[in-house]
Amino acid sequence: MKKLFNAALPVVLLCAFQPVSAQTGISGRVTDESGEGLIGVAVIVETDNARTGVVTDENGIFYIDVPEDTDLEFNYMGFKSVILPAKDNMLVVMEEDRSLLEESVVVGYGSLKKKDILGSVSTVRHQELQNRISGNMVESMRGLVSGVKITSSGTPGSNANIQIRGIGSLSGGTSPLFIIDGSYGGSEVGLSVEDIESIQILKDASSAAIYGSRAANGVVIITTKKGTTGELKVKFDGSAQMYWLPKYDLMDAETYKYYDDLAYQEAMMQGVPGVNDLQNHLSGDSDFLGAMLKTGIIQNYNVSMSGGTETLNFYTSLNYKKDDGAMMNTGHEQFGFRVNTGGKKGIFEYGQHLFFSKTKTDNLMGNPWASAIQIPPTIPIYDDSNPGGFGYGKVDGANSTAVNPVAMESLYHSNNPQQYLYADIYGQINLWENHLNAKLNVSYKNYFGETNTLRKKGNWTMSQGDDSAFISYATAAHDMILVENTYNFNYDIKGHSINAVAGFSFNTMHEEYKSQTKLDPLVVGDKYITSFDSATGTQTCTGSYIEYALISYFGRINYSYGDRYLIQLTARRDGTSRLPKEHRWGNFGSVSLGWRISNEPWFDVNWIDDLKLRANYGTLGNTNIGPWDYQSVINTAPRAIMNGDTKVVGMTQSNITNMDLVWEKKTSANVGVDFLALRKRLSASVEYYYSKSKDLLFNLPILMTTGNEGGAPMVNAASLRNTGIELEIGWNDIVGDFGYSVNANFSTVSNKVLSLGYGQTVYYTYTSRSDIGQPLGMWYLYKKLGIFQSEEDVLAHVNSKGQVIQPDARPGDIIYDDYNDDGQITSEDRQIVGSPWPKLEAGLNIALSWKNLDLSINGYGRFGHLVYNAARATAMDFTSNQNNFADFVPWTQSNPSTENPRIIYGDTRNSRGDQDRWLEDGSFFRIGDITLGYTLPRKWLRAVKFEEIRLSVTGRNLLTFTGYSGLDPEFADGGVFTIGYDGCSFPNPRSVQFAVSFTF
Amino acid sequence: MAMFSGLLLGSSSCSDSWLDIQNENGLSSGNFWKTEEDMQAGLNAVYAMFYRQGTWTRNLMNQLDGMADDGVLYSSWTELNEWTKFIYTDYNFAEVNTKIWKEHWTAVNRANQVLDHIDDPNVTFSDENDRKDIKAQALWFRSWYYFYMTVLWDNIPIVLKTSSASDAPEGVTADKVFTQIESDLLKAIPDLPLERETEKAKPTRGAAYGLLARVYAQHHKWEEAAECLEWIIYGEGKNLYELERNFGDNFNNHTENNIESLYEIQFSLCNDVGWDATDNYLGADAQLGTQIEISRSPKGMGWQIVESNPWVKEYFLREKTLDGKNDPRLYYTLWYQDAEADFPEFPNHLIYGKTWEQLGYSGSDNDRIYIKKYSTDVSPVYYWNDNNFRAIRLSDMLLLYAECVNEVNHGPDAKAIECLNRVRSRAGLPDIADSKYYDGAAITSDYDAFKEHLKIERGLELAFEGMRWIDLKRWGFDASTLEDIRLRDADYNNFVIGKHERLPIPQTDVDNNPNLDQNPNY
Repeated sequence: MKKLFNAALPVVLLCAFQPVSAQTGISGRVTDESGEGLIGVAVIVETDNARTGVVTDENGIFYIDVPEDTDLEFNYMGFKSVILPAKDNMLVVMEEDRSLLEESVVVGYGSLKKKDILGSVSTVRHQELQNRISGNMVESMRGLVSGVKITSSGTPGSNANIQIRGIGSLSGGTSPLFIIDGSYGGSEVGLSVEDIESIQILKDASSAAIYGSRAANGVVIITTKKGTTGELKVKFDGSAQMYWLPKYDLMDAETYKYYDDLAYQEAMMQGVPGVNDLQNHLSGDSDFLGAMLKTGIIQNYNVSMSGGTETLNFYTSLNYKKDDGAMMNTGHEQFGFRVNTGGKKGIFEYGQHLFFSKTKTDNLMGNPWASAIQIPPTIPIYDDSNPGGFGYGKVDGANSTAVNPVAMESLYHSNNPQQYLYADIYGQINLWENHLNAKLNVSYKNYFGETNTLRKKGNWTMSQGDDSAFISYATAAHDMILVENTYNFNYDIKGHSINAVAGFSFNTMHEEYKSQTKLDPLVVGDKYITSFDSATGTQTCTGSYIEYALISYFGRINYSYGDRYLIQLTARRDGTSRLPKEHRWGNFGSVSLGWRISNEPWFDVNWIDDLKLRANYGTLGNTNIGPWDYQSVINTAPRAIMNGDTKVVGMTQSNITNMDLVWEKKTSANVGVDFLALRKRLSASVEYYYSKSKDLLFNLPILMTTGNEGGAPMVNAASLRNTGIELEIGWNDIVGDFGYSVNANFSTVSNKVLSLGYGQTVYYTYTSRSDIGQPLGMWYLYKKLGIFQSEEDVLAHVNSKGQVIQPDARPGDIIYDDYNDDGQITSEDRQIVGSPWPKLEAGLNIALSWKNLDLSINGYGRFGHLVYNAARATAMDFTSNQNNFADFVPWTQSNPSTENPRIIYGDTRNSRGDQDRWLEDGSFFRIGDITLGYTLPRKWLRAVKFEEIRLSVTGRNLLTFTGYSGLDPEFADGGVFTIGYDGCSFPNPRSVQFAVSFTF
Repeated sequence: MAMFSGLLLGSSSCSDSWLDIQNENGLSSGNFWKTEEDMQAGLNAVYAMFYRQGTWTRNLMNQLDGMADDGVLYSSWTELNEWTKFIYTDYNFAEVNTKIWKEHWTAVNRANQVLDHIDDPNVTFSDENDRKDIKAQALWFRSWYYFYMTVLWDNIPIVLKTSSASDAPEGVTADKVFTQIESDLLKAIPDLPLERETEKAKPTRGAAYGLLARVYAQHHKWEEAAECLEWIIYGEGKNLYELERNFGDNFNNHTENNIESLYEIQFSLCNDVGWDATDNYLGADAQLGTQIEISRSPKGMGWQIVESNPWVKEYFLREKTLDGKNDPRLYYTLWYQDAEADFPEFPNHLIYGKTWEQLGYSGSDNDRIYIKKYSTDVSPVYYWNDNNFRAIRLSDMLLLYAECVNEVNHGPDAKAIECLNRVRSRAGLPDIADSKYYDGAAITSDYDAFKEHLKIERGLELAFEGMRWIDLKRWGFDASTLEDIRLRDADYNNFVIGKHERLPIPQTDVDNNPNLDQNPNY
C-alpha cells in the first residue's frame, strides 16, 4: 500500500528539472528509523544558479550528480527534513515528524496536544494568514475552516460577521466569544492580522464548555506573536491595494423616460386618479453611483521587532492602515501599537500584552445603493436653484421624494474616531517540576469612541423642509476589567496522563454614553465652524450608562491512558448580573471521550498514521443580552403642552419588561473521526453534531396592541435544534522543489424550531414565517404564477368553484396564487415558498510552491438557498418614478413578457414586496483570494544580511460564480428571522494588492 | 490539590453581591406610582401621545381627510395615496397603518397604567377630588383613542389593563368597543370640572359630553347622543360655549381656546428640534407642534399631501350670504385661483407670502384647490406650527344635535332647525327655510330631506377637520350613497361595500395574535 502511493507523482514533476552539469556522481539510500527504504524522497542540491534534485526509488536508493563540497537536502512528507554533506554511498535515516500531532493547541485556560483534543477545534496559523489581503482578522479566516460562516460588508472600517455552526443564539448577534491573549475582545479592536500567531476556533460544547455561559456561539481564541529565542528579528510588511465596488446597472435617462412615460400612459388609460399628464422630464442624465464611486486605495504597513533569550522575550509591532474608501464619504484610518513580553526566572514566569489602537472612520449617512435605485436619473446631481445646491425631485419634472445620495453625503458628515487600549499581564508560579502552575491574569480594556456630526444647511429631497444645520458630538467610553486565577496540573506516569485546570474569574464592564447637539453652527463664508460655543441654536444633550458583571468558577480534567483512551470532563458555574437574582447562577459542563484506534497494539494498517474516534456531550449557555433587560424603568421623556407654551413632564413605563428571564442553554452532542494517513499527507476529519438551544434569549417583537415602545422586550423566545455534518479533508506533499496542498471543507447546517416564546406556535415577520417543527425564517410570501397575457387569461384564473380570482386584473398583471382557494387574493394566500438556509457551505484552499514561487488560492461558496433581492423590490416597477435596472423590460402588448409585469404609475399591485418574485437562488462559489508570491533566494539575501524578502500580489473576489442578480451574493443579512434578506447591502469590493515583506 | 481548592473557596467569598447592579438611568418602575405627583406625571405621559406622527401630528388627520370625500391625495408617494384610495397592498404600511395603530395602543397603555394605579389607597392626595379628576381624564383619553381606532378599523381588541408582553387580546366588534367607551365616559363625566382655569389641555365635562355624543351617534344611539348634546347646547354648557362670530377664528393660531371650543389639542413650538423628528419616545426635546399645515401646503411648497376635491368649493359657491356675498367659510377653508375675485372684501389672499399668480402654476394646476384651514401666516411654510387643533367645537355639536333629533323623531323639530340655522347664520347665510338655493320647505319638514341637507352642511362647515370620514361612516355606505359619493370623489370607484368601511389591521399583529382576525375580505 505504502509503495503504491509514494511512487508516481514526483517522478513526473522532477522531469522538469534541469540536468546538472557534469560533476561527481554519487549514490545513497534513504530509510526510516526502522531501516525500511523510503520511496520518493526528494534529494535536492543547491548550486549557484539552480536548485535541482532527484527522487529515491522503491528501495530508497538515489543517484545524483553534485559539485564538490555540497550539501544535500532531503525532503519527505511526514518526516523531518535533513541536510547532510554529500558523499558517495551515503546512508540517510529520516526521522518521522510528529509535530503535527504533538503541536499544542490553545483550548482555553491552557493548551493541549493536538492528538489529545477531543472536541471540535479548528486552527488557523499565521502562515495561512500571511497571504490574506484583509486587514481584518475575522475576514482573514474566511474559507479556512469548516462550520464557520463569515459574512462581510465592504464598508471601510466595518467588521465582518462570524457565525459558528449555524445559529447558536438569537440575541447579541451570532458572534462567538473572542479571547485575545486571555482577555475578552472582538473583531472590533482592530487587531493587526500580522500580529496573530494562531487562531483556534472552538466549535462544540466539549471544547467551549470551559467558557460556560459565554460560549453558546463558539469561541475564537487568538494568540498574538511573541519573541523567539535568538537575536533581534525585524519584519516589515507593506502592501498597497486598489479596490473597486460593483455598481448597479441602472437605466440611463433616455431609457428611464421611455418607461416612465409608458407607466404614466398605462396609469391614464387605467384612470389612476390625479394622473393627467406625463412628467415634464427634467433634463439631467445622472449616474449617482458613478459620481460617488472611485478606485479605493488601502495602504497597510506593519513593522515588528522580536527576539529574546531563554528567559526573556519580546515582540513589538507598529501598524498603520489607511483605506481611502471607494464610496464617497467612506474611509478608515488605523494605527496600532503592540508590546508583548514574557520572561522566566526559576519558578516564576510572567507574560504581558499591551495593544493600543486608534482608528478614524468616515460614516456613510444613508444607503446610497438604495437611493440610487429610487432616484430618477433625469434629476441633475447639482442644481443651484435648490437650497444647498443639489438636484432632487420636482413635482412636474420628476415627482419623487427619493434622496439624492450625493447631496446627503455632501451635506451630512459624520466620523468616528475610536481608541482601544488592551492590556493584560499575568504572573505564574511553576511548582513540582512544572507539574503544577498557578497563574493570575489581570486584563484591562478601555475603549473611547467619539462621533462627530455636521449637518449643513441644504436639502437632499423634495419633501424636505427648512432643516436646521447642527453639530453633534457623542462619546462612548468603556472600561472592562477581568481577573482570572487558574491552576494547571499535569502528570504523566506509566501511560497515565493527567492534565487538569481549575480557576476563578471575575469580569466587570462599565460603559458610558453621552451625546450633545446644538443647532445653527456659525458659518463663515462656506465654512462651518464646528465649535459648540460659536453655534447659536438650541442645545440638547442625552446620556446613559450600563454596567454588568460575571463571576465564574471552572475546571477541566483530561485523562488519557496509553495514548489510546481519552476522557475530558469540564465544568463551569457562572453568575451574571444580567439575569434576575433567582435565576442568576447557571451550571455548564461537558463530557468527552476519545479512542485512538491507531495506537491499539492490534491495529495493523500501516498506511494509517493516526485514527481517532471521539464523542462528546455538553451544555453551554448564553446571556449576551442587555445588562438590565429584566429591570423595568420609567421613561421620563414625555412632554406635553397644557396651554400656550406651558410644558409639563410625563412619566410612564414605555418599555414592557419580562422580569422572569432565565439562562439560555445549548446542549450538544458531537461525534467525530480524525484521520491521518499516507505519511501524514492525507488528513481528514468528519463530524456530526446535534445541538439543542433551549430558552433562547431574544427581543422577540410583541404585539403592537400592547402599546410597547422602545424595542421588543427580552424574552426566552424559542428553542432551536441545529444539526450538521462537517468534513475537512486535505492532501499535501512536497516533491523535490515542488510543494502543494489541497484542503477542502464542507459543512451542512439544518435547524428546526422546537418552541417559541409566549406560547406561540408560529412567528411571522413581513417576509418570513417560523413554525414549530420547521426551520427558522422560511420565506412566507405571495406566490407569483405568471403574467396574464390576455383578458381570457384573467377570466381563466379561477378557483375550484369557478370564481374569477383577480377580476380587476388586466393583461400584463401578475397572476397570484389563490393558495386558500377562496376566490380572492387576501393575506391568507401567503405561503412558504422556500428556505433561506444554504444546503451546503464549502471552502477550498490550494497552495502550490515551486522553488521560490508560491501560489495560493482560496475559494468558498454557499449553495441551495433563496435570497430576497430587496434592490429589485426597491425599484418597484415605476409606481412612483423610481429608476429601474437596465435589464428590466416590462410586459407590453408587443413584448408579452412572462417574467415582468406591466408598469403603472401610482399603482402598486404588481410590485408588492411580499411576493416570491424577489426571491432568487443565492448559490455562489467565489474565488476569494489568489496570491502569487516570490521569496528571494537566500543566497542573494545573505549578501544584504536579510533573512527573508517576499513579494506578492493578491487578487480578491475577482471571480464569482453565481446566478444571483444582486450586487454581491455575500451580504450582511437582515437578522435571524430574515437570514437571506439582501437589503441593498454594501457590496464587497474586488481588489488587487501588492505586498512586500522582509525580515532581517 | 488542597492548595487550589482552598484558594477557590477563598475567592468565592466575593460572590453574589457583586452581581447586584441596579439600572439607574431611569426611575425603577417599582418605585413609581407612589405619590400624587407620580399619578399626575403618568397622566401627562398620556397627553404626550398627541405629539406623534401616528396620532395628531400628521398621519391620522391625513388619513381621515384623505379617505373622506372632501380631501384627496395626489402626493408623490404612491403608497400613501393608495391608502386613501382604498388600495391596500401592504397591510403593514409603516407610515400609515402601523404607525397609527401602534401609537394609539401606546396611548391606551399609558392611560391604563394610570387607571391601574390611581385607586391605590396607599397613595394619598391632598385633595381627593384631584384623584377623581386624574382618573376621569385618563378614562376620557382612553375613550378618545379607542374611538379613533374604531373609526379606522372597527374590529379591534379591548385592553383595559397595563399590558404585559405575552398579551394576545381578543378582537371584538365595534359595537362592543363603543359600549366600553360609553361606560368609561359616563364614569368620567361627573368627576370632570366645567371649566379649566389655565390647563386648557385637560378635558372638561363639556369635552366628555362632546366625545360621548360623538360615540353614541356613531353607535346610532341617537337618543343618548341627543341627551349629551342637550347638556352642551341647552344645559350647563349653554353658559360655557358660544359660536365665534368669525368662523376663521376657529383655525387661527392667535385665537386659540376660544368660546367655541369644547376641546383643543394644544400645540407649541417651544421644543425646537430643527428637523422632522417626532416619534422619539425617549426624546425629552421631541417636537410638540403639528404638521397638519405642511401636509396640506400647495404644490411647490411643503409636502402637498392632502388637497381638496372640487365639490367643496362648488358647493360653497352655490349659496350666497344675506348680503349677497360668497360664503366666507370658503375663504377660510380653501385656496384656489379665483378666491381673490370671489372675496374682494378680504384683503389678504397671500399663500405663504405669495399670490396665486406668483405660485407660477400652469395648465390644469390652476384648477387645483388647496386647503387653507389651519394654515398660519408663516412664510415659508415650516415643518411645524403651534396652531391648536379644535378637536370638538360647538358648530359640530349643533349640527350633530340636529341630526340626532331628526333620527329620534324621524323628522326635524324646531330645536333641530334652530341649531342648523345657528351654524348657517354665523356664516351670514339665511335661515334654511329662506334659502335661495336649497328647498327649505322640504328640509324643515322631511326626515330624509333634512338628513340629506345636514350631510351638505356638515361637509362644508367641518371640511378638512378630520370629521368627514366619521360622518360618512355613520351615514353608512350602500349602493346609492356610494354612487352619490363617487360623483364627488373618484377614489370611491375602488370602494367595495363590506370591505372598505374599515382598514385592514396591520398584518403582523393579526399573524402573531391567534385571537385577532383580519378584517373581512382582506
